[in-house]
Order: sequence, then C-alpha cells, then structure tokens
Amino acid sequence: MSAYGIGAAARGGRERPLGWWGAAMLVATEATLLAVMTATYFYLRFKNVAWPPRGVPVPTLVVPLLVLGLLLAATTPVCLGVRAGRARRRAATCGWLIVALVLQAAYLALQLHQYAHDLRRFAPSGSAYGSIYYTLLGAADAHVAVGLLLTLWLLAKLARGITRYRLNALEAISFYWYAVNALTVVVTLTVLSPAL
Amino acid sequence: MLVPAALVLAGCGSSQDVLAPHSRSARGIASLWWDMLIGSALGLGLVALILGAAWVRRNEPGVPGVRDGDRAALGVVLVLGLAVPIVVLSALFLFANIFLIRDTTLPTASAAASDRPALTIRVVGHRFWWEVRYPGTAAVTANEIHIPVRTPVQVLVATQDVIHSFWVPELNRKIDMIPGQVNRVLLYADAPGRYRGQCAEFCGLQHAQMGFYVFADPLPRFRAWLARQAAPAARTSGSALFVSHCASCHTIRGVSARSDVGPDLTHVGSRTTLAALTIPNTHAALVQWLRDPQRVKPGSAMPVLDLTDAEVSRLAGYLESLR
Amino acid sequence: MTPAPPVERLERIWAPRPGVLGWLTTTDHKRIGLLYFWATLVFFGAGGVEALLIRTQLAQPHNHVLGPNAYDQVFTMHGLTMIFWFIIPMTTGAFGNYLIPLMIGARDLAFPRLNALSFWVFAASGVFLYTGLFLGFGPNAGWFDYVPLASRLYDPGRNIEFYTLGLIFNSIASTLTAANFIVSIFKCRAPGMSFNRIPLFCFAFLAASFGLLFALPALSADLVYLFLDRNVGTHFFDPAHGGATLLWQHLFWFFGHPEVYILIVPAFGIATEIIPAFTQRKMIAFPLVAIAELLVVFIGFGVWAHHMFATGIPTVTLVFFAGASAMVVIPSTIQVFAWSTTIFTGLPRFKTPLLFIVGFILFFVAGGLTGIMFIAIPFDQQMTDTYFVVAHFHYIIFGAAVFPIFGGMYYWFPKVTGRMYFERAGQVSFWIIFAGTNLLFFPMHIVGLLGMPRRVYTYPSGLGWTIYNVLETIGGFVTAAGILLLFGNLVVSYFRGPRAEPDPWHGPTLEWSVPSPPPEYNFAVVPTVSSAYPNWDAADRELDRQRLAAGAGVLDEGPEQVVSSFVDGETQEVVRMPHDSPWPILVALCLSAMFAVLAVEKYTVAAFLGGLLVLTLVGWHAKEPEEA
Ligand code: HEA
Ligand code: HEA
Ligand code: HEC
Ligand code: CUA
Ligand SMILES: [Cu+2]
Repeated sequence: MSAYGIGAAARGGRERPLGWWGAAMLVATEATLLAVMTATYFYLRFKNVAWPPRGVPVPTLVVPLLVLGLLLAATTPVCLGVRAGRARRRAATCGWLIVALVLQAAYLALQLHQYAHDLRRFAPSGSAYGSIYYTLLGAADAHVAVGLLLTLWLLAKLARGITRYRLNALEAISFYWYAVNALTVVVTLTVLSPAL
Repeated sequence: MLVPAALVLAGCGSSQDVLAPHSRSARGIASLWWDMLIGSALGLGLVALILGAAWVRRNEPGVPGVRDGDRAALGVVLVLGLAVPIVVLSALFLFANIFLIRDTTLPTASAAASDRPALTIRVVGHRFWWEVRYPGTAAVTANEIHIPVRTPVQVLVATQDVIHSFWVPELNRKIDMIPGQVNRVLLYADAPGRYRGQCAEFCGLQHAQMGFYVFADPLPRFRAWLARQAAPAARTSGSALFVSHCASCHTIRGVSARSDVGPDLTHVGSRTTLAALTIPNTHAALVQWLRDPQRVKPGSAMPVLDLTDAEVSRLAGYLESLR
Repeated sequence: MTPAPPVERLERIWAPRPGVLGWLTTTDHKRIGLLYFWATLVFFGAGGVEALLIRTQLAQPHNHVLGPNAYDQVFTMHGLTMIFWFIIPMTTGAFGNYLIPLMIGARDLAFPRLNALSFWVFAASGVFLYTGLFLGFGPNAGWFDYVPLASRLYDPGRNIEFYTLGLIFNSIASTLTAANFIVSIFKCRAPGMSFNRIPLFCFAFLAASFGLLFALPALSADLVYLFLDRNVGTHFFDPAHGGATLLWQHLFWFFGHPEVYILIVPAFGIATEIIPAFTQRKMIAFPLVAIAELLVVFIGFGVWAHHMFATGIPTVTLVFFAGASAMVVIPSTIQVFAWSTTIFTGLPRFKTPLLFIVGFILFFVAGGLTGIMFIAIPFDQQMTDTYFVVAHFHYIIFGAAVFPIFGGMYYWFPKVTGRMYFERAGQVSFWIIFAGTNLLFFPMHIVGLLGMPRRVYTYPSGLGWTIYNVLETIGGFVTAAGILLLFGNLVVSYFRGPRAEPDPWHGPTLEWSVPSPPPEYNFAVVPTVSSAYPNWDAADRELDRQRLAAGAGVLDEGPEQVVSSFVDGETQEVVRMPHDSPWPILVALCLSAMFAVLAVEKYTVAAFLGGLLVLTLVGWHAKEPEEA
C-alpha cells in the first residue's frame, strides 16, 4: 500500500468526494431539463401575439420576488452548515441546516399558496401559457421539494453523529441546493418576464 | 443502370421517380444526385482501396513488438480526413444551398412579374385524402389536381388534422402540411402529362394510400376544365338518397349537401380514381367502395353505411353521372 | 504456482452471494454487464422479429400479413426497440459496464448500486413497453411520434402512454448509467492513467455518456408535455390554444440527433480497441481520434433541424443547420482515415473481429455519404421520409453501429467466458451478414429514389418498387440467418470451445492483463499505467506481478477501490465499495409499479407508490460503507 503513498496524501486531498461528482452529474442533467423547459417558455411566447393570452392576468412582481428571496436567503445557512460540518461541529451543522430547512419549507408553502391563488384565475388547460407556466414552475419547485427531503434525511443521519459518509453527503446536498437556487432564479424570472 | 430501366418499364405517368424530372427544380435535384453519387463513389472507393491494400498485406510476416504512430500516416489522416473534406463539403454546401434552393422555391414577392406564379392553388390534407381549391373560383375537387403546363403555380398547403406532406417528386421537392401554419411550394411541369404524388409524412392507418395525381394540361384545356369544375352539379335529379345518407359529410354543389368531412363530389364522375388513388373510378370499384369502404381502405374516415344493393347501385349511377 | 495469500483474501472479500439471489442483488459491474447483455439480446430478437414481419409484409404489393393497425405498431416498436432497448443498453449497458472498469484498472464503477438500479429499471421499462404491445396498445405513431398524430384526438387508445412513460422510464436508466460512467472515468482510474492515457474506448463511452446526460432531458421534457396534453388537457402542442406543433419536433430532434451519435460513438470505441489488437499497432493520430470522438457528440447538439428541412421553417434557419451538419462530418472523416491507415500500416490479421470492423468502416462511409447528401437541402427535401432515408440510417445503424457490436462479441468472448469461439464459423457468419445486409439495405436507396415513402404498410404494383422490395426481404432473411449462425457459434463455443488464455490476441488494454474470465475483484493488485496501451508495457505488468508477490498495493482490507485525481489519475484515496445489495431491485420494483399505475391513470396510487419509493431510497442509504 505504501508503494502508492495512499493514505498520506489521500485524506487531505483537495479534490471532491465521489458523492459530490455524482451530485454534479444529477445537477447537470436536471439543469438541462429546466433549461429546455425555459426555452419552451420563450418558444411558445414568440409564437403568440398576446402573452399572456387575453383573460389571463400578467403576473405580479413583488410577492413572487419576495418569496424567492426566502429561498435565496437559505443559501447562507447552508453554506455555514457546510463550514461547520467540515470543522466537525455537529450541533452547529444541524442548527444551520434546520434554519435553511425552515426558510426553504416556507418558500415551498408560499409557492403552493401562490399556485392555489393562480389556479383560481387561470388553468393549465386554458391555454399554452397556462400549460408552460405551471409546468415550468412546478418542475422547479419539485426540485425544491426533493431538496427538502434530502435535507431532512441528512439531518436524521447527522443527529446520530458525524461520519465521513455524512460529510460527503453534506457536500453533495449543499451543492444540490446551490444549483437549485440558481435554477429557481432563472425559472422565476422567466415566468415573471411578461411583467418585467 | 437499374433505375432508368425500371423507369422505362413503369411508363410515364405512373411513376413518382425522383430521377425522371419534369421541371427545372426536379431536374436540378436529380442532376445534383448524380454528381453526389460520383463523388461518393470516389470517396467510398478511396477508403475501400486503403482497406484493400491492407488485405493484400494480410499474411506479411510480423515484426515482433508493437509499432508506434508515425508522421507520414498522420499526414495522410490530416489531408484526407480534414483538408479534402473541408473543400468538398464547402463546395457541395455552397452549390446546393445557394443555387439550388433558388431553383426549387417560389420567387419572392419582389421578383420580376414574369417569374411570379400565375396561379395559386390551395391544397388541404385530410386523413386520408387531399382537398383541392382554386381561389377565385368555386371549383373544389379532391385528389386530382390540374395545372396549366409550363406555368409556375403556387401551391398553398395546410392541414385539417395531422401532419401530411405534399410531394410530387417529378415536379418538385416536398413540403409538409403542418397544423397552424400555411406552407408554400412551387409546382411547375415542363410537359403535359400525369404526375403521381403521395403523402410523405406518416399520418395514420392509411398513410400508405394517400396518393394524388397532378395533371398538367395545355392552357386552354386547363381553362375549360376549371370552368367545368366551378359549375354546380350536372344533375340534381336522383340526389335524394344522397342527401339523406351522405350529405352529413359530402358536398355536391347545387344540391343541398354541403359538408366538408369528405371530398367534394360535385364532379366526382370526372375523376379517374377514387379514395386518393386507392381504386380506379369504375362502376365496379365505386359499388365496392359504397358497400364497404372499410374493406377497400381500412381506417379511412368514411364509415360503412349499410345500404341495400339497390341503393348502392342507384347511388353509384348518380355519382357517375356527375361529370 | 499457488495463489498468493492476498489473492485468497480477495476471493473471500469479493465472493458473490450464491445462486439466483446473487444475481438479483449483485453490484458487480461484470455480472450487471452480463445481465444487460442477455436482456438486450432478447430485445434484439424482438426487434429483429418485428423487422422480419415488416419485410414479410412488404415482400409483395397488396400483401396481407399485417393490417395497417398491426403494421403501425410493429414498425414503431421495431424502431423503439432497436434504438432504446438494443443498441444503447447493449453498448453502454453491456460493453461499457463490463469493460470500462477493467480498462481503467478499477474494481468496479464509481456507484455500483446505482449501476444495478440502472439495469433493473432498464429491464422493467422493456417489460412495460412490451406489456403495452401485448395488450394491443403498442405505440403506433412512429419512433419520433409526431404530434398531433400522437395526440388524444387522433390516437385515443393508451398506445402513446406506453410510449411516453416507457421512454421516460428507459431514460432514467440511461441517465444513471451515463452519470456513473462519467464519474468512474473521471475519478476511478489506475495510478498513472492521466487524461491522455485513457483508452480510446473509454473516451468514446465518455462522449456517449455526455451525450445521454444532456440530450435525454429534452426528450423527457417533450414526453412530459405530451403526457400532460393527452391526460391533463394542457395545450403545449395545440396551435388553436397558443401551442406549437413544431415544438415537439424541435425538442425531439434536439435529443434525437445527439442520440444517433450516442448510438455510433461506442462503436467507434470498439473499433479503436479491435484495430490495434489485430494490427499490433498503436492508433494513428490518437489525440485527434480522442478529440473527434468527443467533438462529434458536441457538434451533434447543433444540427437537429436537419430532420425538419421540409417543415417550412425559414430558409436561413435551414442553411444554418445544413452548415452545422457539414461541420459534424469532419470528426468522422478524420476517424475513418485514422482507422483505415492504422490497419494498412499495421500488420493486419483479418480474424473475425477485424472483419467486422472492416465491414463497419465500409458501411459507415457508405451511410455517412448519404448523410452528407442530406446537407444539400433541396435534395433532402426531395428524399426525406422516403426509403432513401431508411437506407441511410440502416447502413449507418445496422452496418456501422451494430457490426462493431458483433465484432466486439467475438473479440471479448474469450475474456468473458474463458473459451475461444470457432474462427472458421465466425468468418462465415461475417460474410453472410455482410452480404445479407447489403442485399437488405442497398435496394432501399433505389426504391427511395423511385419515390417509395417510408412507413407504408402496403404499396401499389406498377411503380417499379416490387422487385427491390423482394430483394430486400430476401436480404433480411439472409441477414437473420447470419446472425443466428453468429449466436450459434457463441453458444456452442461457450460449452465446447477450447480454453482461452488470459490474453489470446495480445490486446492493448488492461482487461487482457487479468485472467479469463476476470475474478470478482478484477485486479489483484492495483495496476500502474504509463501509456494508453498499458498491456503492451511489459515492464509495468511485470511490476504488478512483483508487487503481488510482495503483497504490496493489494487493497485487501475489504471491498476497496482507489479514487484518483481528475486530470493526472494520481491516487487520492481508497474508498470502500458497497457489495451486493437488495435495494436496487426493490427501488426498481417500486418505480415499475408507479409507471404501471400511471399508464392506467391512477394518479393517487402513483403518488402513494412515489412515497414508497422514497422509503426504499432511505433504506438503501441506511447502512454506510464504513459500517459495512
Ligand atoms: C448511428 C446513427 C447515425 C449516424 C452516425 C448518422 C450520421 C449522419 N447523418 Fe443521419 N440519421 C440517422 C442515424 C445516423 N446518422 C437516423 C436514425 C436518421 C433518421 C431518423 C428518422 O427520420 O427516423 C438519420 C437521418 C438523417 C438526416 C435527415 C434525413 C431526413 O429525414 O430528411 C440527415 C440530414 O442531414 C442526416 C445526416 C447525417 C450526417 C451528415 C451524418 C454524418 O455524421 C456522417 C459522417 C460520416 C461520413 C461522412 C463518412 C466518412 C466518409 C468518408 C471518409 C469519405 C470521404 C468524405 C468526404 C470527402 C466528405 N441523417
Ligand atoms: C437501431 C437500429 C436498427 C436496426 C438494427 C434495424 C434493423 C433492421 N431493420 Fe430497421 N428501423 C430502425 C432501426 C433499426 N433497424 C428505425 C429507427 C426505424 C424507423 C422506425 C420508424 O419509422 O418509426 C426502422 C425502420 C425499418 C423499416 C422501415 C419501416 C417503414 O418505414 O415502414 C424497415 C423495412 O424494411 C426496417 C427493416 C429492418 C431490418 C430487416 C433489419 C435487420 O437488420 C434486422 C436483423 C435482425 C434480426 C433478424 C434479429 C436476429 C436476432 C436474433 C435471432 C437474436 C437471437 C436472440 C437470442 C439469442 C435471445 N427497419
Ligand atoms: C362520416 C362521413 C362520411 C359519410 C357519411 C359518407 N362519406 Fe363518402 N367519404 C368520406 C371520406 C372521409 C372520404 C375520403 C376517404 C379517403 O379517401 O380516405 C369519402 C370518400 C368518398 C368517395 C370517393 C371520393 C373521391 O373523390 O375519391 C365517394 C364516391 C363517396 N365518399 C361517396 C359517399 C356516398 C355515396 C355516401 C353516402 C351513401 C358517403 N360517401 C357517405 C366521408 C363520408
Ligand atoms: Cu397523409 Cu401520410
Ligand atoms: Cu440527424
């Protein structure tokens, strides 16, 4: 073994764990999916004279942007949680993750509320506008929901102590969150674009 | 060559042969094909030659050890694999896509008046037949398009249902009929005659039997034909049975039957075929069609109507008289 | 020589569970590769039977073997099966899985359980699709499934649900495999295998994996839209309500064109293994070929609209895509001449595998040249949707993508089974398949030029098409006979073939440095690599043997694997691999149940099964590798 110098250089290595790479692949393909859906939005938009179509209100800006702010605000605790994790400070890690979780869950709850509100005014089956509006937002928020499940799972694991495996998971999941946040920004701005 | 031989056998008018062009557009495409074929034969020949040379060396005794790459071979790869293709592809690309597109598309609105199409036809694709209209006249027909010979004709194509593709290979390239959009294609025939066309986009059960003819006639004959088609039905007596059974789908102008689910039958007797070239327009075939369209063309939109033999032959007789 | 003690320990650590259970719970990339192999062969058989049904129906004008309804399902299933359930899983699933870890000197892929999950999901998706067919709801709108033909209005049965769900299902499996390959090739290489020493085979699979990863989402989005349009009443594709018909086509081909390169690139990879082995010569222009393999997929993302030349989109757009299509040709021409000059300047020995590669090159050039012809937009507008296109893609798919698969089956047969195949019969099978394929697909060019559209279940006599169709049908059966001989050879060899040595061909890459068949742990000692042809570096291999004798670098404290740095392939750490797990197949079962109820519109049950899926995933991750 020593012939390879394995062990010495190994743990201090600057390169990312395998799990992070796996998450990167997942993010790459999911980002492409959302990019394709965003492209669909603009393709349909340029095929239509009236966008949104008559009878459908132009989205309002303030509330959705504030709600988005909640999600973005969760970036900081996630980041701090990773730092704490690297320093093997378990309580701090869990604490920061819970803060993030609350913000993210609040975001999702408000989004659901927004859907309910929108659905009373226009349906996905009303026009192509409605179809892509709900599909695009729904796809982005589904990623948030998955992220919530991942964080919950990680918290449950971390509650029983820190291991290398859990730290790798923390790196991977935090990377997932950064990506989802960025994607959600793009998606939100896209669906708000008629009001911009 | 096999292809021309097959052409002679098939005889004119009953082929849809890309290599038997009857217009400038189709000729341009056909001659491009022959040029590309020669080029391709050279390319394939070259590769086959290299491999053949390797085959000749197949028993050459081996030197022990593995050979490394060498510069001469790399040079060959760069020349044949990079330089030559760039030249060849650029030439093909420029020639085909700058000159030939001009020959196969309609002149733009700014073109000289003499180039602009003299006639516009609307063709609407249905599962599985073609509705043909001549704007500015009352003429409506189906599956058999007449155009004046040596005259550029603009065809506006659209669809009533799914995507179809309008294609008369001996006259020009094809164009898709897409819901929500109207496409245009140029039709031009050098010589009088009958040219076969066929739906080229898969559209369901009877995509295979969605053919049509283009008849290129000398101008006077075309004018006469158009005038006849624009007139209402030649006979209205005997139409009662038709009105009661068929008017929910078909139109006969001059009779109280006006529905465009199925082909306009005002002059159905003047057509040479029925059901988009599926059967000839003969008494026997017509009777068979009316008895059981689903046997003749399974999946077509015309249902079996449970007519008695007597009713069928009366209807057939009536339709045949609509010339 | 008795095995060194470390080897015995490795045998114990890596021993699989016995019996069927061992196969159901395996995470061994070689076993999963074999599972893929057998499963895809079954699908190949199905796709082949469908092909022969097509050919039988078209043998004569006005034939009545298949009615229009059956024909539409059969040709659609043929295209789907061959592409999604044969070539992709055969190349990535079977060849890639089995060989990539062996070639990069690893003991398994980066995520072995994910790999098992890919397989079970893939297998279930195939069962799902064929269930549809046997219920009379086979997809029937062609493999590219244009709307509005595929909309509820014109296709009211459940046929298209089996298409949309089946493909989403299938693409989950492909995505997982692709991600796994990329991470493995990036991170699990033997010490010394820097990026420029990765075998060309692995470059090819890297390219295919990237292609899958970035192309499949476009298909998935498209399928989701279609599913929603059909089942929820959205209007993505309905121009009457602001939708767009061509949206489907753009997204489909944005996936579909990269897809065709995903089909061919692994074949390039196989060729670049077989050629050096049978000419005993390193590939000419190695770096160019590696770059070309990646580039062809990359440029392939920019050419999709060349499938839409006749849809009436503006001419400038068309010309742009034609130009891109011309560019995508260049990497292919470079490779063609790199392969053929390597064969010519080496010491070619035309054993069966190399014969198949020669056939592959010829078919690839012939099919590629008709592909080039489509760059001439007016010519494409003339020939699109005719048998000329069918000829193009069967030359390049059957001739160029499948021939290397056949060649590869012969080439790696001794490695996988420990037996030799019968060379004579192998060569005969090549000549029969080669002749049959030409007889089958060459006349399609002519009949296409004579105006025969594709996807017709019948055709009139008198247009001069009959004779060519007869020839094609005969060719189809000749091809089938050749393929049967091929498999017959392999089956008999499996039981009766002479024993194979570890390295019967003096092959260039690491898989030939281990016994045939390879042990569960692949490499007793972690091999060192100093070139892209490590098995030809005798000194390195001698070093391995010395290390093994000294017990150095064996990694025998558990199922261990080296993780290396991304660029230099320097060893970075040692990780523990999961070993045999029931979770992948359980997750796949949940997923299958979910898709099955989706197909019958039971959305609440589907949601419930989704919850179950999450629970199985939690179970999957309950045990951490450190505790294993
Ligand atoms: C394995 C799959 C595969 C591959 C590799 C290719 C390769 C190519 N294809 Fe093909 N193609 C398909 C599978 C494939 N295709 C399928 C399945 C369809 C139909 C889909 C459907 O409609 O159902 C299709 C359809 C298709 C079309 C649309 C036709 C239509 O429907 O109208 C076009 C148009 O441009 C095209 C072009 C090309 C080009 C330019 C290449 C190039 O990459 C080819 C490059 C290779 C070479 C050029 C060979 C090397 C030649 C030499 C070395 C000789 C020297 C050459 C020169 C001097 C230039 N293909
Ligand atoms: C991926 C590749 C692939 C392959 C390999 C093939 C192989 C063949 N194809 Fe394929 N074909 C397509 C992909 C492929 N095809 C696609 C994408 C379409 C378009 C579909 C569409 O329009 O939607 C198409 C369409 C298509 C058509 C046009 C249909 C139409 O437009 O109406 C025809 C017609 O002849 C045809 C014929 C054949 C034949 C005879 C073979 C033969 O080469 C097949 C030979 C194989 C066998 C005979 C199997 C023998 C194997 C065994 C017996 C295995 C033994 C099993 C075990 C040991 C378990 N194909
Ligand atoms: C439900 C609609 C429907 C009804 C009712 C119907 N048809 Fe049709 N008919 C069609 C359609 C659609 C076609 C085109 C079929 C095709 O070619 O695929 C057609 C085609 C025909 C044709 C061939 C026309 C041509 O030019 O090729 C004739 C003749 C015809 N119908 C006669 C009749 C008669 C007579 C009746 C009444 C007894 C009748 N149809 C009732 C829908 C209908
Ligand atoms: Cu209409 Cu095919
Ligand atoms: Cu393509």
